[in-house]
Amino acid sequence: MALGGIVIGKRTTLRTPTEDDLPSYSRWMADMRVRRAAGVWHQPAMPATWKERLKEQAKEQRAVLWSIETEGRLIGLVRARLGSLEGPPAAHLQHFIVDPDQWRKGYGWDAALALHRYFFDYLDLKRSGFELRADNVAALRIAERLGYTEFGRGHQVHYRDGAYVDEVWLVMQREAWDERWAEKEREYLPLGKAPR
Amino acid sequence: MFGPRIVGDNGIELRPPTLEDYKLFTDWQMRPEVTRFWGPRFTTDTVATAEERLKRHLESNDSVSWSIAYGGETVGFTGIFDISWTDRDGETGIFIGRHDLYGKGIASEAVRLRMAFIWNELGLHRTHNWIALANEGSWRANQKSGYSQIGTYPRSWFRSGEWFDEWLGEAFPNTFPAGKLPSPWRDEGHPK
Repeated sequence: MALGGIVIGKRTTLRTPTEDDLPSYSRWMADMRVRRAAGVWHQPAMPATWKERLKEQAKEQRAVLWSIETEGRLIGLVRARLGSLEGPPAAHLQHFIVDPDQWRKGYGWDAALALHRYFFDYLDLKRSGFELRADNVAALRIAERLGYTEFGRGHQVHYRDGAYVDEVWLVMQREAWDERWAEKEREYLPLGKAPR
Repeated sequence: MFGPRIVGDNGIELRPPTLEDYKLFTDWQMRPEVTRFWGPRFTTDTVATAEERLKRHLESNDSVSWSIAYGGETVGFTGIFDISWTDRDGETGIFIGRHDLYGKGIASEAVRLRMAFIWNELGLHRTHNWIALANEGSWRANQKSGYSQIGTYPRSWFRSGEWFDEWLGEAFPNTFPAGKLPSPWRDEGHPK
């Protein structure tokens, strides 16, 4: 676990983070557009601190970090906690950050679909969940399209930009993935059907 | 940090935890009688590490912890954790370790004292919690002090062949029942 491996989407690829990614990470965490949309994965810091954070992340037992790239360019990161002891095996998305300069190009959707294929088609998880600020319309649209449903709403949870914003809690059950995506989204062809 | 002593009704009070309390906490969490809604009933904590845990909680900047005492004896713990000082929000929790004392209103009183402290001394704007839906005594205790349900998380716990959903709640200063303010905040001559 800890640092994620390669997951290939149609336009984006999730891959193992490297130290070369860290200046971009730091830049995103300092970007007010990112901070308005969601919580950051660590505050902006000096390069040495970021290296230390990456080292610590590599030791994490239950949380996995990926960098997201398109055509060889780094455009985002995603971090998820995996596994569950008392509930069904599950993923909990903690951070999904796309470089604001790359917003509205469909990269978030593509990376999210690939990531969820990894959760359900590869890891055989039973559900995935996450929280969103209620005014993050782009992320909500992606979540709904994937098959997430709202199971709770916290009122006036996050303070930013001079006001509070609600938080929406979302969950996607395995059944929703199977119904919408299982047929179309498979990482491998069934054994015996691969072209020879 | 540890919370101060707050004296409630019926012999119930919140007080700063001691090292002996921490040893008790670990022991309780290993017992089947009190872990139907509290898991996973294993731990890396030992009696030897109790002091370390106490110190960690004592020095924490984002939590306030109390022991709950009944008739002078420690019977559980409560607190607020993961406080965000920017959002002025935190997660509350409570655990009664003495199953022989269930049903005596200890949790309700402890929650009342805890919430009064949070609203009057910490300046928070909101608190929230997740409680097993089947643990009616616990979420009802929170409701009495201003919590309301804002969602249900499906199939959160598995015990003895059945899944338990979770009751998601939140509270605000203005949802605390004004007539239930405990001492010292309700006392005549108190600055408020």
